[in-house]
Amino acid sequence: MFEPNLFSLIQNITEAGVSRAAEGFSGMVGEVITTTYPSIQTIALKDILEKMGGPENEAVGIYIRVDHGLPGHMMLMMTYAKALNLVDLLLGEPEGTTQTLGPLERSALGEIGNLTCSFFLNAASDITGVNAHPSPPAVLVDMVGAILDVVVAVSDNISERGVLLQTTFLRHQAEIQADFWIIPDRDALNSLHLLTDVP
Amino acid sequence: MNTIIPIGLGEYKVSTCPTEILVAYGLGSCLAIGMSDPRANVAGLVHAVLPESNGNGSNNPKFVDSGIRLLLADMMGMGASRHRILIHLAGGASVLTIPGYTQTFNIGSRNIAAAIRCLLSERLSITSKDVGGNNGRTVRLYVCNGRMTVQSIGQPERTLFGP
Repeated sequence: MFEPNLFSLIQNITEAGVSRAAEGFSGMVGEVITTTYPSIQTIALKDILEKMGGPENEAVGIYIRVDHGLPGHMMLMMTYAKALNLVDLLLGEPEGTTQTLGPLERSALGEIGNLTCSFFLNAASDITGVNAHPSPPAVLVDMVGAILDVVVAVSDNISERGVLLQTTFLRHQAEIQADFWIIPDRDALNSLHLLTDVP
Repeated sequence: MNTIIPIGLGEYKVSTCPTEILVAYGLGSCLAIGMSDPRANVAGLVHAVLPESNGNGSNNPKFVDSGIRLLLADMMGMGASRHRILIHLAGGASVLTIPGYTQTFNIGSRNIAAAIRCLLSERLSITSKDVGGNNGRTVRLYVCNGRMTVQSIGQPERTLFGP
């Protein structure tokens, strides 16, 4: 599913996207937020559950559906505790300030998902010439299994693989590692295959 | 000493071992269908992902309809009586909602409808259910007595059916 040429193309998109996302976050909060060079791997959807600490573990997912040229799913996912820390980092509060995820905190997280996806899709569009339209973000707070169920279901194949980008957001001394999942539909893979001349 | 048997996405198991607890963790839109025949000491659980096989994958427990039929056949193969089987449904939540994308993400309710349709066509009735809503669930089926429980985040385990 992810031949070397295709993986390399996704890697290029990712590097450009993540660095632009960092600029976007900095613009949003008015201070420099940097992101580390992301590690990239492909992983079976089923294995995401264990990666996130098991299907019953409480997590936060910021989900965006992508349509048109590069259809698929994007999900910024982290444990509940990390989501609280990420809100602190975004709002410039000392770590431990945010204790629950109310409407304001969820909105901030939704915006992070929105920005991350948008910058990623802009980079993808610049590199591939293919446009994609993201949905509004949905912030899900639930068991990991419950968050991923629909993505697995609409991917229509349990053994399908996704791309995992692990990157770290840094602001002053604070840092939060987040997992960013990209699960392309077959149509998106076909479009990218054509670009990489993979039969 | 009880043994936890996790039932993953698209998997099922029928058991006659009284120390086993069949568990489907973190169900969102997925549907768990539990069956038990306490007199025959047999119980089974399927963790279905999608509503209907539509003829493709009729032996695949990933689908609600084929999952129910597989479970039923194995239950009867292990001594359960069709007339005594108790059936429980849990799951089928709408965890993910995005305005304008209702049709794409209403898999939970489609799974519930598929289960009801399939059980009707098999002339089987539902003994208990805890379906729909917006929260994920972990479902446990205790083989020893056919007890089925449901648990959501921050909530105690509650009995859907059984002692």
